Amino acid sequence: MTPVERSDALHARVRALAAAKEALSPEEFDALASDIARFQFETIPAFRRLVLARGGERLLARADDVPAVPVEAFRLSRVAAHPASADEVRFETSGTTGAARGIHPMRTTATYRALALAWGRRALLAGPGPVTVAALAPDPGANPTSSLGFMMRAFLETFDVASSREGASTRFLASPDGVDVAGLLRVVAAAEERRTPLLLLSTSFALVLLLDELGGARLPLPEGSVVMQTGGFKGKTREVKRADLDVALARAFGVSRASIVAEYGMTELSSQLYEGTVPGAELAAAPGILVPPPWLRVTPVDPETLAPVEEGLARFVDLGNVDSAVAVVTRDVVRRRGPGIELLGRSKDAEPRGCSLSIEAMVLARSAP
Amino acid sequence: MTDAPPLERVRAILRAAARIASRADPLGAEARRVLPGTTGLSPEGVELALREHLETDPDEASLERLVAGVSPAPRAHVILSGTVFTGALRALALALAASPDVSVRPSRREPEMVRLLHAASGGGFRVVPELEPSPGDVVWVYGKDETVEAVLRGMPAAVSVLGHGSGFGVVLLSADVPDDSLARDAEGVARDVVPFDQRGCLSPRIVLVQGSERSARRFAERLAASLAEWEERVPRGTLDDTERADAVRYRDTMLYSGELIPAGSGLVGVDVSGGVVLPPTGRHVHVARPTDLAATAFTLARFVVAWAVSGPEPLRELAAAVFPEARGSALGSMQRPPLDGPVDGRTRFLRSARSG
Repeated sequence: MTPVERSDALHARVRALAAAKEALSPEEFDALASDIARFQFETIPAFRRLVLARGGERLLARADDVPAVPVEAFRLSRVAAHPASADEVRFETSGTTGAARGIHPMRTTATYRALALAWGRRALLAGPGPVTVAALAPDPGANPTSSLGFMMRAFLETFDVASSREGASTRFLASPDGVDVAGLLRVVAAAEERRTPLLLLSTSFALVLLLDELGGARLPLPEGSVVMQTGGFKGKTREVKRADLDVALARAFGVSRASIVAEYGMTELSSQLYEGTVPGAELAAAPGILVPPPWLRVTPVDPETLAPVEEGLARFVDLGNVDSAVAVVTRDVVRRRGPGIELLGRSKDAEPRGCSLSIEAMVLARSAP
Repeated sequence: MTDAPPLERVRAILRAAARIASRADPLGAEARRVLPGTTGLSPEGVELALREHLETDPDEASLERLVAGVSPAPRAHVILSGTVFTGALRALALALAASPDVSVRPSRREPEMVRLLHAASGGGFRVVPELEPSPGDVVWVYGKDETVEAVLRGMPAAVSVLGHGSGFGVVLLSADVPDDSLARDAEGVARDVVPFDQRGCLSPRIVLVQGSERSARRFAERLAASLAEWEERVPRGTLDDTERADAVRYRDTMLYSGELIPAGSGLVGVDVSGGVVLPPTGRHVHVARPTDLAATAFTLARFVVAWAVSGPEPLRELAAAVFPEARGSALGSMQRPPLDGPVDGRTRFLRSARSG
């Protein structure tokens, strides 16, 4: 088999998980993770170097042993099993000043899309009935560089049949100038006319801007509506605590706090985690717990030994990352909790001593391609 | 000391520092006993710092420049960081140049050097747990950017605040040179990396190389060898949890994205394609060969506190132009800047009570 054929076969196996009714057993997860890791070992010289330096091919047999690629590598160099000429998209991280952006190249977005839709449907939709979808985000356009924008568009096109008639672009209600309150009012009115709930997709920061625009006024959403909020306030001039934001949103939209759901995703991953609080949705979990889909394993690891711990850096084994890095370690600190994890914040590694600077966000220039 | 002129006050603290530098003085012996515990440096690392990085005998012109660069104040206050224990001397010299009435809040991590200087100076300044500046006073704060900003926010409006925040050192060098020159350059960089286990903001953490891929690798290998040789004479001390975790992070990042060469207890990472990542402290150096060295240097500029160059004059001119506020030094002397003022031009008034 050629590398592309191997990749296609792995993608097909992963996409099948999105449609599966039964969850993977740990052994099945390990087997698929191992096959993907071996594919990456044989096609990505950089990953081969990492594996060989960390202990050799024996580490590829179990998902928990596969050497994880630090997210910084996505900022510094190309993380892909295929040449740049075969990229369908290159998702970019949001950059901070002075730092290079991370890039996650994808040869195909079909798997990303299938996984996002499958887990998003279980987390965000209360049932099979119609829903109106809008996004407080800029339109990603035909060539998206934001994985979040790509996912939002997929939700719009798939969950909201009406949007295809009207054009999905009309449902992206933010621009660099701010949020489009009038546009949101139009979408809310249309949802009420259709007698559907609204699924409002947004970054936390855009929701803060919306509340500012509303200036204390209410904007009641149709019954059964859900707000998906994602992302923090990195690089923004303001920060609002999650609990305070939820209270303000529940009041402004006239929805229960359970209907305001956190999503956790990263450019470097192909899968997302959600809170499972939406009444009537398939995914159910206590507030504050981010639940991974069956094709994503999250393990807190010690930042020095990289061994599993109860509370530590988030190490992901994402079966959706067929062509990039199946195991990724981030700087987010998480704690095991119930069926998922609790996000505790950023690593203390990000706090340098004295006048030193830490390596946090300090990938300053990418390697030449 | 109240009646002494500024230059005399500075000389007095230098005499106190000389006692601590001396192995024969009881305070010098005590310094060698206690500082490894509070600094994390090895005993050899403390000895190196006391012997070669405590500026006890500056030339007269440097001292005059130091005093001339400081505005008088009724009282001066200093908040110290714990990264480079010898930095207390420069901080005290500046404060004493400004005022005979100096209060110092030592680092919680490393309070011993201030205590020793206090004892050696016969109480030439006050050691306090918290500063209580009055209107018209001046406060020097050393530490990471967040600390400097927090102190600034907490100070009354009529107090002047000078801050020295985060940063690191950079070396620019031409690697297409004969072996002996390359070895000299590598030794010079190692000489600047080893003191204080690279925790000071003057210490180089990134080397930008001009030359062929082969030359860049050759330099990196030579640098790793020099660092390993230094390790024999001056072993690295203990790293804290954060530093050890950062080292693992840097190791895995460079295993994936570049090349990695063991260098004593530290690592030399190499990216011949020009990718630049800041390595953690603890004797880790990132060697990059950018396709556009000037553009990469410009990207680093806002963090750079100190620089050194080995190469043709245009490279030196580039560094001087791109890092105008940073301290330029000869290779091997980056951690020994003359005692002629703040360590670099980035130490500045964040708020001047006089200018409002």
